[in-house]
This record gives sequence, structure tokens and C-alpha cells, in this order.
Amino acid sequence: MTAIRVRINGGEVADDVPPRLSLADFLRERRNLTGTHLGCEHGVCGACTVLVDGEPARSCLTLAVACDERAVETIEGFAGDPVIAALRRTFHQRHALQCGYCTPAMLITARDLILRQRAGSEREIRDGLAGNICRCTGYTNIVTAIAEAANEIAKEAPNAQ
Amino acid sequence: MPNDQYGVGASLLRKEDDRHLHGRGQFVPDIKLPGTMDVAFVRSPHAHARIRSIAVAPELRGRVFTAPDLPRIKPIRITSHATGTKAPAWPPLATDKARYVGEAIAACIAPSRGEAEDLANAVAVDFEVLDAVVDAPRDMHGSRHLIHEQWGDNLYVERVVEGGDIEAAARAAEITVTRQFRMQRQSGAPLEGRAVLAYRDHRLDEVVVYASTQTPHTLRVALGEFLDIEARCIRVVAPDVGGGFGPKARLYPEEIILAALALQLDHPVRWVEDRGEHLLTAAHTRDHHYKVTAYADRQGRILGVDAEIVVDAGAYGLWPQGPYQEAAMAARNLPGPYTIANYRARHYTVATNKAPLGPYRGVGRPGACFAIERIVDEVARAVGRDPVEVRAENMVRSEEMPFTTVGGMRLDNGDYKESVRLCAELLDLPGIRARQQKGEPDGRLVGIGFAAFAEQTAHGAAEFVARGAAIIPGFESCTARILPDGSVVLMVGIQSHGQGLETTLSQIAAHELGIDPARISVRHGDTESTAFGFGTFASRSMVMSGGAVARASRMLRDKLCRIGAHLLQCDPAQVRCAEGAVLGPQGSVSIAEIALVAHLRMDGLPPGVDPLLDATATYEPAIGTGVFSYATHGAVVAVDPETGFIDLLDFAVAEDCGTMVNPMIVEGQIRGGVVQGIGTALYEEIPYDEAGQPLTGTLADYLVPGAAELPAIKIGHLHTPAAATEYGMKGMGEGGAVAPPAAIANAVRDALASIGAEVNETPITPRRVMAAIRKAREAAAQP
Repeated sequence: MTAIRVRINGGEVADDVPPRLSLADFLRERRNLTGTHLGCEHGVCGACTVLVDGEPARSCLTLAVACDERAVETIEGFAGDPVIAALRRTFHQRHALQCGYCTPAMLITARDLILRQRAGSEREIRDGLAGNICRCTGYTNIVTAIAEAANEIAKEAPNAQ
Repeated sequence: MPNDQYGVGASLLRKEDDRHLHGRGQFVPDIKLPGTMDVAFVRSPHAHARIRSIAVAPELRGRVFTAPDLPRIKPIRITSHATGTKAPAWPPLATDKARYVGEAIAACIAPSRGEAEDLANAVAVDFEVLDAVVDAPRDMHGSRHLIHEQWGDNLYVERVVEGGDIEAAARAAEITVTRQFRMQRQSGAPLEGRAVLAYRDHRLDEVVVYASTQTPHTLRVALGEFLDIEARCIRVVAPDVGGGFGPKARLYPEEIILAALALQLDHPVRWVEDRGEHLLTAAHTRDHHYKVTAYADRQGRILGVDAEIVVDAGAYGLWPQGPYQEAAMAARNLPGPYTIANYRARHYTVATNKAPLGPYRGVGRPGACFAIERIVDEVARAVGRDPVEVRAENMVRSEEMPFTTVGGMRLDNGDYKESVRLCAELLDLPGIRARQQKGEPDGRLVGIGFAAFAEQTAHGAAEFVARGAAIIPGFESCTARILPDGSVVLMVGIQSHGQGLETTLSQIAAHELGIDPARISVRHGDTESTAFGFGTFASRSMVMSGGAVARASRMLRDKLCRIGAHLLQCDPAQVRCAEGAVLGPQGSVSIAEIALVAHLRMDGLPPGVDPLLDATATYEPAIGTGVFSYATHGAVVAVDPETGFIDLLDFAVAEDCGTMVNPMIVEGQIRGGVVQGIGTALYEEIPYDEAGQPLTGTLADYLVPGAAELPAIKIGHLHTPAAATEYGMKGMGEGGAVAPPAAIANAVRDALASIGAEVNETPITPRRVMAAIRKAREAAAQP
């Protein structure tokens, strides 16, 4: 067991974890943050994407012990985040989800694309989603929803980088 | 009565979205019960092997369970009423022999999945390895080691579908075209794998089984049968299910084993499949071999088709319907939307040392569509005409419908030719032809291809009886209940796992009752709260369950009107339900007020009217042979003749599924299906080596389509309401996945026409494209 202290969605958490415990299992099994989903557990499907120190990360391939003294954001967080709020709205309006399994991670990846100014065209968005598999929608509506959210955010903050 | 904002035909936004957008969906692995132990399986590393012994160390006893440790479990048995079928008994934990890589041999329990896997790794099984049967066409009549020894061969069943006089067609033909086609084995690969959580509820004297399944009620039937317990002692719950697509509409050994463990142990048990297990052991699909000969005249009129179909169905048949339907449906659907008069299809369902084959979006039809639509294109090329014209000319005309095809499918209505025209328009066929004339600056070759199909949906008793099916999923059920405050609950026997049925079924009740869908809840997937139903598969739930909701809602509406009229002191014939109230000639009374009377103030009920607002209805469409959606799909590709790489430039669907309850959801289903069909066409394949080892164990080598390699999917609609269903609905969940392999293969053929190459095997990988190009160039170089 290894003692870790992690900031999760803004709150400090201390725990003793086995060294081989993944961040995904730590979040899901120990913190009951079940919005982080596991689709492949080998880093391909992207369903487990969370933010570690603000960067998207595969929580299935990230060990919990590696998150000691770091900040993790999951879909249960993002309170007051305007980009996630816009994405939730456009995903709903554009029917960008069906079974909902890929959705939390899709939102987190999309938020990152928008913040990094990598959602300016359909081509950019599609390339940016290469690491997130959706088996239901065929992606067309996801791409549209992200483009619309990006537009909204750009209008609200025209001077943003 | 119909309400344009939320009734039938409205693109109402989904009720399901909010929980998923906030990560508050509840999938099986999200459910936490104190004391739960995780289960991991010892699985066969060999495709075909006798099990000599299983060594479980004494200290592992009570944590490792082999077949003798779970004596309650009976072998899974398939019943088929079709003649000449063989059905092996399948012990959920292998006893004497393992017949595919991944077959379960022992279950191990521990406080976490990792520890359970450690236990599984500590179990030693002594195998005597046998020769694997992996080549279905070669080995169907026999092999050195038979899979099921008592059979004498490796054939589940062989049958013939025929009509007209194929020999006469052969004699009359001016053109004869023969091709072999192959659609490789693949996985359904929902993003959430399978999962089971089971525990014993002593108060209710039942075993509760949470499962990621499309069919909770029939799963309960199966658990009762194979665990020998009464259904009243079993509750099955399918909570949120992260995609199904067919593979989750079958019984699995793991579900029986988890329920047996829960009955035997004093704590909950959970099994969460990992992706490797899914690719190894969840139902595989397709794996078709075809040899097709088309006989035609010089105009391209197809006189007859002679086909041989071999389906590699794997080691066992999945309960309830067994391995038979894949080949049978391919054979019956192969004539497609065409007036072909003479037909013969010999079809063979073959046992191999591979994972069992099960349903996957399209069942049988993507292969059949691939075979017929490729051969239609080759007939067109043989007579020197455009495949678009030849295709349309061979189609059943509107005025000929209902038309029973030579394969025995009763096509109810529609304008098939118009779908071809519309699809060509969506892709700008003349523009693509002009582009082809000019050529590409980068040397790539552009091609356009089309494929059409008619999709049997919402088939009822007549169809399943004709198949000799073990169970007849010919109806659905709904209990509609208005609560004392006037809010509504619909309890339905289907299961919604992405199809948005919580929304669309609310729309139907709203349509009938004049109540805002926001005041309507849909309960599904729980045997405790819903009347028996079969679940969601076969493009059936909107028609079947929607029909049941319509009927139950109308029963409630009649009662609301009787009570409302009494309260308004008028005749029931003078009132109607709308805007959340019963409206009379003078004044109205709200549904909430009527609900109050029906529950809490029965002194307000008219004489002879019972309290409660609670109605259960079943529904079966008026025609049991199904209502047929249809579509033409078209693809534009650019093929790099130096690398074989295919870029999908454009894709369009022109389709007709009758009345759309929610056009937004219909289009979502089409696009999702199309992308799965593109996966079949270009990427997805589970190859097995000669020893029966599957070569794809991860999503890094089993490739599902991603956003980056896809175009936006265009859709055009035609509207021909069905005569036999409520509102004219037709099912449409699967169709998207049927035609993309054929359309893309025809586009690749078109692109490579100048080289003379064709690829008749999916997925159309760069390696296969290069092989076809090499073969064509070598043939051209021959003197």
C-alpha cells in the first residue's frame, strides 16, 4: 500500500492504495465517481479520459500512485465551467449521445479541444476526437455539437487565446 | 389530439441525455453493494482440447469454482423446431473439452478484479490439445477431430431456399456472372462490455441479477431453466446498458455462473468483462462465405441467382435461437429488393473452434446485401451499363407491392427506385462522373458505388414460426399507469440502450393522452416492474413496444374520458383528452383531478367504473411477416493505387422507414448504423490462425471506426407509412449497418475499373486492395 494525497474535483483526498491500482479503479471503486467509464482498459477507446493537472489523461493507464500531489478532474466536477456547460447544451440539442457510455469522456476531450483552439473546423474536430471511440452515433452529431459549443464560447470570449 | 411539439413526428430532445451528460448514468459496474466479490474466469487458451484435469490448490478451495463446485447449473440447451438442426449441449463451465479460445473453465472470486485475476492465473489446467477446425467450407463435412464427436460431421444444419426454375434461367441467360464473396468475422463491440452483478435477497426470496443485457425477461426465463429455479425467485435488471447491437440479446454462460454463485454464497458477486474477454467470447458475427452466379439478359435483367452460402458459426449455438438464423436469413434475403424470379440458395451453418456467432445489427443481411449488390454491379458491367440504371430496373415497382420475393420475403410497400435516384442525387452522381473524367492531381482513383436493400423489421409470430424458432418474440407489452397526481408511468418489456425509447415511448403516450412527455416516465429493463416482453433487437421496439404503449394509453384515455365526462356532466362521446385535461363542450377537468378521483376520492367515480388508472396491453402488428424499411446507400471513395489506402469522401443514405415518431432519433440511428457498416466494410476483422487462435485481442488491433476517418453522413427521407402498424411506423434500427459494405465495395470497384481490379472480401483493407490490383495487373500482362 502506498499513501497518496490527490485533489479530486477540488477536494483533498488521502488514501492508501496498492501500487498497481489504476486511477480509473481508484476513482470508480474507492471514490464512487462512476462517471469515468472503462471501455478497453488499454488506452485506445478514451472512455476513461479525465484531467490530471488540467491535461486529458487515460485514467485506465494512469496509476493512482502517480497522481500523488496532483489534481484530478472528472465529469462529476467542472462545476461552473462554461465550456462543459455549453457542450452539455449542444450535445443535448444535437442528439450527440445515444447509450451515453462514451459521453463523459467525450465532453472532457471536447472541452480540451475548444480551450486549445483546436475545434475551428470539422477536420480539426474529427482529428481531435481520434482518441475517443463512440460506437453509437457515427460521430456526425458529436462533431456538430462541438463546433456549435466552440462558436458559442468564441462569441462569449472573443479575446481569449 | 396530436401535438406537434411532442407527439408522434416531433423531434423531441431526449429524456435520457441529462444523466449521461453529468456522468450519472447507472451501468452495471457503477452499482455498489457491500461485500461484493469480483469474479474472474479461467478460460481455455486452446481452440480445441480435452481437459484432462484442473488443479486447484487446497488453499484456493472456496475461491475457485469448477463445474462440479456449482452442481445446480445445467447445460445450456437450444430447442429448434426446424428440421435437420443439430444443437449441442453447452456446459457453462467446460467439463471434458474446450471448444474455442476463451471458453470458461473455472470462476475465481476475490475482493477486487485484479486479485480475482491473480487467482485465475494460479489455476493449472492439463489439456490434451486437438486439431482445431477453423476453415468452415473445408471442414464442414468432417475433420480429423470433430468438434461435437457424436455428430459425425461439423454441420449444424444445411438447407436450400429455392423458387422458380434456376436451371431454366441458366439456359435462357445471355450473360452469366459468377463471383465469390467473403465477409470476415467481427465483433459487435459495444463500448461497454458485458457485466453481471448478482446477489441474493433473502427477504424477497429471490436472486437479483443485474446484467448488461438487451433482453432481461428472456434472461430470467433462461436462468430459471438452467438453474432449475422458479421465475418468481429471479429478478433481472438491465440498468443503463452501454450499447448492445445484438450481442447482448443472447444468454451467456457468465450470467448463469454469476447467478449460481450468488445462490450458493452469502455475498454479492460481480463480473465485469474486459475488452480482451469481449473480443474473445462475446458473440461474434458475420463470417460468411458466398459463391453466387447471376443469370441475366443482355439488358442486365436478372433472370436467376444461384448461391451457395457457408456461415462459420463457431463452437456452440447461443440461447435462445441457436446458430441457425444467420445463414437462413442471408439465404432468404439475398434476392433483396429485386423481382428475380428464379433462385436457389444452398446454405450451410458450420461448427468451428471459434467463439459462438450471434446477432449483430443487420443479422445475416449485411452479407446477403454484399453478395447481391456486388453481383448486380458485375451484371451491369458485363452488359456495359451503369449499375444505377440496372439496379433500378431490376427492383420491385411500387405498384407490384405487396410483393413476395423469390426468397419468401413479403415486401409491403415503398418506392425502391426513388431511393436509388435520391441517393444518386445526394452524392451528385454526374459531378462525380465528371471528376472521374478529369482525374485526380494526386493520382488517386475516385469511385462511386451504391447498394440497396429492403429490411424486414418488427416481424411477429408468422416469421418466427416459419423459422422454427425456439421462442416466438411476436409481441410486446406495456402497463400504463396514471398515479394519484396525474403523472404517468409506462412500464414496458423492452430495453433501451441508446435508442432513446424513454423519449419516443413517452411521445406516443403523450400523443394518445394529450399529456406533456415531461410528466411521463418510462420504466424498462426490470422484470420486477414490467410485464413480460422480449427486449430490444430485430428493429422491433418502436413498432412493437410503441404499439403496446399506444393501446394501453388508449385504454386509459377511454377511462379518463368516462370519468371526465361524469365530472363535467356530459356524455363521454362529447369529450377528448388534450392539454393535460379532458375537454368537454363546456369546461374541462384536468388529468390530475381525474387521477385524484380514481385513487383518493372514489365517490366521484361514475357508476360502474372501477378505481385506478392502470392498463396493461400487448401488441402484435397486423402482419406477422414484418414491415419493410428500405434504403439505397451510396459511397464515394478515393483509392490510392500505390498503397491501397481508401479515403471515404462521402456517404449518403436515401431511406424510408414509414412514419417517424422522432426524426432526430431516426437519423441518429441511421448514422450510427452506417458507421458500424463502414467498420464492417473497411476495418473490423477477427482473424483466427490455423490453430484457432484469434489474432485481435485489443482495440489497437481490432479497429472500430473513429471520427477522423469518416465523412459526415448525408440522409434523405422518403415516407411510405406501413399499413399494418400503429401510425404507419416501420422499424429501422439495423438498416444503417446493412448496405455500407456493399456500397463501399462497389465504389472501390468503380474506382479500380480502369485497372480491372475488384475486392470481394470485407474488410477492404489496403493489403486486400493491393492484392487485387496486383492480380489484375498480372492478368492484364498475360499474353
